[in-house]
Order: sequence, then structure tokens, then C-alpha cells
Amino acid sequence: MDLVEIIHIILPILIVASAVVSIYLKDLLAAVIALAAMSLLLSLEFYILQAPDVAIAEAGVGACLTTAIFVIAIRATKRKEDA
Amino acid sequence: MSEMSRIVRTMTAIMFPFAMIYGLYVIAHGHLTPGGGFQGGAVVASACAMLLVAYGSKWVEEKIKEKNLSLLESVGAIGFIAIAFFGLFFGVAFFHNFLVGSDLLFGMVPAVGSTGANINTGGVLPLMNFAVGLKVIAGLFAIVLVMAYATTSFKEGKS
Amino acid sequence: MNQRTIAASVFFIIVAIFFILAAWSMRPFGAPDQSAMDDYIIQNTQEEAGANNGVTSVVFDYRGFDTLGEATILFTAVAGVIMILRREKHE
Repeated sequence: MDLVEIIHIILPILIVASAVVSIYLKDLLAAVIALAAMSLLLSLEFYILQAPDVAIAEAGVGACLTTAIFVIAIRATKRKEDA
Repeated sequence: MSEMSRIVRTMTAIMFPFAMIYGLYVIAHGHLTPGGGFQGGAVVASACAMLLVAYGSKWVEEKIKEKNLSLLESVGAIGFIAIAFFGLFFGVAFFHNFLVGSDLLFGMVPAVGSTGANINTGGVLPLMNFAVGLKVIAGLFAIVLVMAYATTSFKEGKS
Repeated sequence: MNQRTIAASVFFIIVAIFFILAAWSMRPFGAPDQSAMDDYIIQNTQEEAGANNGVTSVVFDYRGFDTLGEATILFTAVAGVIMILRREKHE
């Protein structure tokens, strides 16, 4: 088992872990950061799968633009989620 | 939407030129390296959205209006369709690559195989990359800007 | 354990079995089933489209109508968002 296969096993686990973390966080800004980390790891996975076009699009749209939109929405409303 | 703290503003001012140059590089070299109009436009729009989040919508409102952004987006869309129609007029079909093999701009043909990159190749592909890049930059930044304005007026109306 | 949890667990297990079977029957990486079109584009894209980047030549030259549809989708989305969220001028 070479290094690339080990990365192929570790990266999806990290993606799923950050997605689950973003569900359970009560601080919405931290949840948005976890979602951005998920998107960045997903773009890294695309890059390892030899699709750099999709990786650039995912990193630009998923990790930055949606994060900016979420941050704008959170600053217009409340930051803490009601328990 | 008000501006954020001084740390965020300084980091944004440092990071903004690099993101901008990288996005414009991806658009301009779309026919040579991975990426293209949509990817580079998304990167440039991300840089502008970063600026908007850090400096607030009042600061950005003095620089550019959303009316101009929608005008730019329409210019990009019209340019894209016009290049496609030029393929119909000067060539044989819609979306025909009529510039390749000619002596005009971007007209050279690279040698077959893994060769060195020459930016003067590609026919209409770089022009279409520019049009789609302009369209994506203006469109995505207009979405974020309009949302920021809407949340500002919503907060002022509530309080 | 109530009934809802049991139903959710059964549904989860069924979906997981489908995904694992799909992953099991996937072809090895870099060996597609039908490769005639790939070979044609890889060999002819440099003299037909004149670009070194094969992906861009497919997106803008061979499959230009897909890009036209994508541009239409983006234009419609931006027009809709601006129409809904634009600031009113009446004060």
C-alpha cells in the first residue's frame, strides 16, 4: 500500500468528520468554518484524483464564496444557535 | 454590514493582490494550464467577496455599484454568444473555431505531443475564456454584494 | 429503541450496502470502459482546437453548447437574486 492509497483512505474520513462536526457545533460561525474546511479537503481529494479544474472551482466557490455568504447572513442575524 | 477588526482588514489587504493575480492568471492561461474562465472567475470573485466581508459594504459601495456589475455580466454574455456567432459567419457552424490556423490573433497551432506552451495559440478559446471570466466575476460578486446590501437594510429596519 | 430508530437504521444499512456494492464494482482508476472518444480527443485536440489544454478545448470547442447552457444558468441565477434582493429606492 503506497502513500497515495493511504491519503485516499484518510481524506474521505476527514471530510466526513468535518461535516459531522459542523452539524453538532452550536456556534454557527465555527460550523461555517468547519464546512469551509470540508470543502477545502474535498478540493484536495479532487486534486489527488487528477482533476485540477474541478479542484480550483471547488476551492473558489465552495470554500470561499459560500463561506462569505454564510458569514454575511450570520452577521445579519444571531451567532448562537438556540439549543 | 459593518467592517471587521483591524487584524482581519490587514490580512485581507495582504492576501487580496495574490488571490487577484492568481485568478487573472488562471483566466489568461486557460488554454494552456488547468482552469479556465469559470475557475479563474470564481477565484477573483472570492477575492472580491473577501474584501467585502472584511471592509464592509459601505466601503465597497463607494468603489463599485451593482448596476455596473450587472452591465459587465451582460457584456460578458453578449461577447460569448457573439464569438459563437462569428464562428457561424466566418466559418462553417455555430461555435466553430474559425481563428485556428490563421494569421490573426491566437492563430498558431502547437506541435502534436507534449510541447512547450505558447500563449499565441488556441483560436477563439482565449477570447471565450475572457468573456466567460468577465461574466463569472461580475455575476458571482453581484450576488454577494446584493446579499450584503439586503442584510444591511434588514438589520437597520429591525433595530 | 423506538420504531423510528429501527426504521432509520434499516434504511441506513440498505443504502450503505448499495454504496459499498457500487464501490466494489468500480473500474480501476484510469481505465475506462469505452475509451474511443478519449483517444480521439487526446490525439487530435492540438491540431483541431489549437490548444494544449484538452479540457478547455472540450469545454469551449467540442462541447460548446454545454457551456452556453451553463452561462444561461448563471445569468438566470444572478438575474433572479438581483431582482429579489435589490434595495428599494423609496424612502
